[in-house]
Amino acid sequence: MTAPVHPISGGIAADDAYWAALRAGVFRLPRCAGCGRWTWPAHWRCGRCGSWDFDWTRLEPAGSVYSWTRTWYAFDRTQERAADVPYVVVLVEVDGTDGARVLGVLGGDDTGLKIGAPVTGTILPPQAKAKGYPSLVWSLS
Amino acid sequence: MSSPLRGAAAVVGIGQTPLFKRGSAPDPEMKLCLRAIVAACADAGVDPRDVDGFVSYGSERHEGQKLMPALGTRELRFGALVWGHGGGIPGALGLAASAIATGQAEVVAVYRSLAENAGARLRVAVAQDDTAAQYLVNGIDGPVQICALRTQRMLEADGIPAATMFALARAAYHHAQRNPAAVAYGKPFDEAVYEQSRWVAEPYRLHDCSRENDGAAAVILTSADRAADLVDRPAYVLSAPTGATAGWGPLEENHRPYSSAGFEAVARRLWRESGYGPADVDVAQIYENATGMGVAALLDHGFCTPEEAGAFITFENLIAPGGRLPVNTSGGNLAEGFLHGMTLVTEAVRQIRGTSPNQVPGAALSLMTGGPGDSVVSSALLGSADTL
Repeated sequence: MTAPVHPISGGIAADDAYWAALRAGVFRLPRCAGCGRWTWPAHWRCGRCGSWDFDWTRLEPAGSVYSWTRTWYAFDRTQERAADVPYVVVLVEVDGTDGARVLGVLGGDDTGLKIGAPVTGTILPPQAKAKGYPSLVWSLS
Repeated sequence: MSSPLRGAAAVVGIGQTPLFKRGSAPDPEMKLCLRAIVAACADAGVDPRDVDGFVSYGSERHEGQKLMPALGTRELRFGALVWGHGGGIPGALGLAASAIATGQAEVVAVYRSLAENAGARLRVAVAQDDTAAQYLVNGIDGPVQICALRTQRMLEADGIPAATMFALARAAYHHAQRNPAAVAYGKPFDEAVYEQSRWVAEPYRLHDCSRENDGAAAVILTSADRAADLVDRPAYVLSAPTGATAGWGPLEENHRPYSSAGFEAVARRLWRESGYGPADVDVAQIYENATGMGVAALLDHGFCTPEEAGAFITFENLIAPGGRLPVNTSGGNLAEGFLHGMTLVTEAVRQIRGTSPNQVPGAALSLMTGGPGDSVVSSALLGSADTL
């Protein structure tokens, strides 16, 4: 896998494969190749079994709202979304992962938004709003 | 089991510049830093040249070696930064105490300085290179949005009443009315003002959120032996642990338990090392980057159970002099001003000295909790000589 464009360096930075998969239109999260535990956010070694290998496992982008916030201010580093204010970001517990959570903007009607509500995700190609990254946008099911 | 650090060092000096509106400080950040340290030395009766240790916490830009020429430092013997952001402040007191107790330094300054007159947005500088793509790609920039996600879960899934958030804000603004140095001094605050303030990130309104000021604050620590000779009422560091347990850290919102502020293990160590418990605390400075996170910090420290939160975390209980647990008695981050929590340290010391603008009579055990929800957090329990 060639290195994707992943210029934001603030995290653990073991998640190149996440963005590369999303760029290819597929949602994948890493699972330890040794003990099978979902390891998210991605890291370099499984702290439970010691494996250095991970299977980037294809998942349906579906889950439930673990928490949410509606942002009413255009923050400095996310000015690309200023015109969308207010917008909702959901933290989604991904189905079939033992509780791994990913973030994403909620698209469409937010009637019925609450913790526990089922959501499905759509993968958007890279866009300026997402800082040139591919992204998951979620909709209430 | 008591820690060898228990009571080994004490805060003997506090210094603080005025708090300025962001971007309006008359001096550059380093000069503010020097003013705070020199003021803390004067307060302690210590020659600034004798400060031989410099400790701060994540993203402080003014290392001791940069300050040496201006302080006339004879020898820098210890310098270190506690990792994390605001979560590390009380731990910086613990690190200073460690250096003193082990003979690595004798007089240690712990400090924070902020000013935006160089044109740099502080909250950007602080977060620089420390915000994962998961956030920025998905419209999350600021800590307040991250706090909002966590607090929404605390309110909606855990059932903690939102009234606790208002109570914390109201107590802070109430205390600020007696502190002429507070940014909210003379600015009345009530439920109507709160309810009418604009949303920032639900469930947070503007008045739930700390907003950065320009300014600097510093404290001077030295050994318990020397402290007793220097000042009447040293504030002894009884315990000031830093840490994170499995399930906590920079986990991109995969923290467990999620609506915690991250203090469970640190609080356990704090009570064990100090020999005291939440019921013994006379007054507390609770770092509130946002009100709900302060509420979570109170829960994490065991001041009440989630079921008791609505009855315990009330305005009446949170105010000096007679509340069950007066908090943020100089106005806190919300209403005194926000120097990444450092003003909470000076206020925690004033309570031991009996010089707070909202003094709790006879306060002997004074708690300060660090930035809630940070990837590592810390808390400090300060005590008078009677508590040793």
